[in-house]
Amino acid sequence: MLFNSLDFAVFLPIVFILYWFVTNKNLKFQNLLIVVASYVFYGWWDWRFLSLIFFSTIVDYSVGLGLNKTSSKRKRKLLLWTSIAVNIGFLGFFKYYNFFLENFIAAFSLFGKEISGSSLNIILPVGISFYTFQTLSYTIDVYKKKLEPTSNFISFSAFVSFFPQLVAGPIERATNLLPQFYKRRVFDYTKAADGMRQILWGLFKKVVIADNCAEFADQIFNNSADLNGSTLLLGAFFFTFQIYGDFSGYSDIAIGTARLFGFNLMKNFAFPYFSRDIAEFWRRWHISLSTWFRDYLYIPLGGSRGSNAMKVRNTFIIFIVSGFWHGANWTFIVWGALNALYFLPLLITKNNRNNMEVVSGKYLPGFKEFGLITLTFSLTVFTWIFFRAENISHAFSYIGGILNESLFDIPEFEGRLKALRTIILIAFFVLAEWFGRKEKFAIANLANVNKKAIRWSVYCLIMFLIAMYMQTEETPFIYFQF
Amino acid sequence: MKKYIRNIFLLTGSFIVFYVVGIILFGELTPSLFTQNLNYRIGTYGHSFTRLKEVKDVKDVDILFLGSSHAYRGFDPGIYKRNGLKVFNLGTSSQTPIQTHLLLNRYLKNLNPKLIIYDVYPETFSSDGVESAVDIIANDKNDMNSLKMAFNINHIKVYNTLIYGIYRDLLNLNENYKEPECKRGGCYISGGFVQEKLSFYSKKELKEKKIEIDPKQLKAFENIRKELDKKRIPLILVYSPITSNDYQRYTNNDSFDSLMQSYSTYYNFNKNLNLNDSIYFYDSNHLNQLGVNIYNKEILSRLELIKD
Repeated sequence: MLFNSLDFAVFLPIVFILYWFVTNKNLKFQNLLIVVASYVFYGWWDWRFLSLIFFSTIVDYSVGLGLNKTSSKRKRKLLLWTSIAVNIGFLGFFKYYNFFLENFIAAFSLFGKEISGSSLNIILPVGISFYTFQTLSYTIDVYKKKLEPTSNFISFSAFVSFFPQLVAGPIERATNLLPQFYKRRVFDYTKAADGMRQILWGLFKKVVIADNCAEFADQIFNNSADLNGSTLLLGAFFFTFQIYGDFSGYSDIAIGTARLFGFNLMKNFAFPYFSRDIAEFWRRWHISLSTWFRDYLYIPLGGSRGSNAMKVRNTFIIFIVSGFWHGANWTFIVWGALNALYFLPLLITKNNRNNMEVVSGKYLPGFKEFGLITLTFSLTVFTWIFFRAENISHAFSYIGGILNESLFDIPEFEGRLKALRTIILIAFFVLAEWFGRKEKFAIANLANVNKKAIRWSVYCLIMFLIAMYMQTEETPFIYFQF
Repeated sequence: MKKYIRNIFLLTGSFIVFYVVGIILFGELTPSLFTQNLNYRIGTYGHSFTRLKEVKDVKDVDILFLGSSHAYRGFDPGIYKRNGLKVFNLGTSSQTPIQTHLLLNRYLKNLNPKLIIYDVYPETFSSDGVESAVDIIANDKNDMNSLKMAFNINHIKVYNTLIYGIYRDLLNLNENYKEPECKRGGCYISGGFVQEKLSFYSKKELKEKKIEIDPKQLKAFENIRKELDKKRIPLILVYSPITSNDYQRYTNNDSFDSLMQSYSTYYNFNKNLNLNDSIYFYDSNHLNQLGVNIYNKEILSRLELIKD
């Protein structure tokens, strides 16, 4: 079920009413309702893959209990690796089987050895990368004794399948989300109103910004061979806002929806395009994934301790794995590697923690900060070309198409006037984000506006803009494919 | 919780008012570039305004023509008039069965036709009907049928255009509008026809395509059929000629023919009439006046056959 669909607009109020009016007196029933609602939410897309979630839930629940029962190091390790093998096994099969097969065949043929193997027609279960990492965080934390395993199967099932963040995150840590299922939730007006605001802003980002940008990004990337440099640059620019609006919009709707049910999910985006360097960008972009890799991969590898060679190795590993997590394509690996290249100079010169706070300036940033933001943004736009391209050669031909004299020609593509309208919408969006950048999300500070008339007028205006500028086809979120 | 529920309802109410006012202001003040989901275009390309104004004064016709631009550019009332027949062409831009149903509800009683000839261009059966709906909303007076049509199509563009259209109808803002008789090479001829300046089609590459029937359109079509049956008005379905270049790109023409044959007398003139693409068409799917003359004579001869 898509957040931007009529189905969800009907589903959410029904679950909300059942949750707060029917099951509100019994925690077990509330959690059970969440499990049922989550399975309906997921099954709406393809019920067959519910078995995968259910199997992962059983395996990790049992592993958690097993880890609690034994103190034998060997047995504990075996249990942990069982969980990792099952979860990564599913992920590997559904997401990476064909990629590895094709690349092995290609690699062997380079050495003159012809091997055969037929690729499978595999449907990628929506959100598999997200819920796999979420359940893994549970078993790893229990193994490291950071978290008590749960014996409450319903709570654990609700944690694994919690519908607001099931298919595209934020990838929650068991330490944050699981304990919230143990406590009785009491309806909190402020929290629910805040949730509604965040849902509204998320919808705006998705259906107005991302979907309108997608129209042009798709058109330009799909016909890149025939277009001039300035058009291709504009295409990359549109994709940059498409992916941000799409993914951060989903996260906002997820976090806001969770708040309606009394849950606090972690922040996933913190105005990344106002970052002054790549290190700051990665502290602000897809925070739940970056911190997952930091905690469960980077730090166990040694992190930024040790020699420069170790730092370089660890940085490349984490960025490349992060890229590969997004999809079974070399484009994502190059995208990760490029980010590692951007990041390394900052790490080695110990300048990676220069910009910990959001950029200052009441109305505008300082001249230097503006320059740094522009530079970081431009570097990011460049990496998104690899992220969006069909394959590596497409990415290189796209970049080649930008870097020639036609970069200074007037952009030429279908619907240029409509594109101008989208650019104006982006400008409005960037301004709103800029003035709200110190908050959890851009319009969170509306809660502090005392006059109800002003607050409500802004809500109405945003809803009006959504209705006036939404794309009329329901388009799935990009991150569903990851 | 009470406060929350109350505020949700109050905000919803406020939003409805805000929305209606916003649509009116956007429609009045904003250039069309910025009205993405509001598409109110009075006096459009297909002369719908003039045709829908004229139809209100027409009564008791021999033949009523229905359909998309293939109808209003394909059936020339002058040819029928010369043969002693009183006809009216109620084709409108991209008219799908949903709009045909609406127009019949509005005008069938007055027109009281002895026969209906309905152009069934396959694309209109696979269309969502939005383009035609906003055309009719902007160029005709709105009533309950418009509301029913909007709910049936269920598209934000149709709802927004209808809100703005109702506002303009209530204030009679279109009363003094005069549509130019000729525009973009096409002139309106009394009786609902649009005659295009003579030009010729030059062949272009067209991608292969499958006709996908939208269930909503088929349902509307079936309702038309049933209502005409009840009123005992004979219905002839025709697939007007399009260029062979365009016709051959559809991969399932035969199944479309079978479907249409199951509803009424049906002629596919792409099989029955061999017209040269570069002589008798001005674009890939519209006849020029030379083609129109041949096509209408063919229809007249078929009518004679039916009479026999």
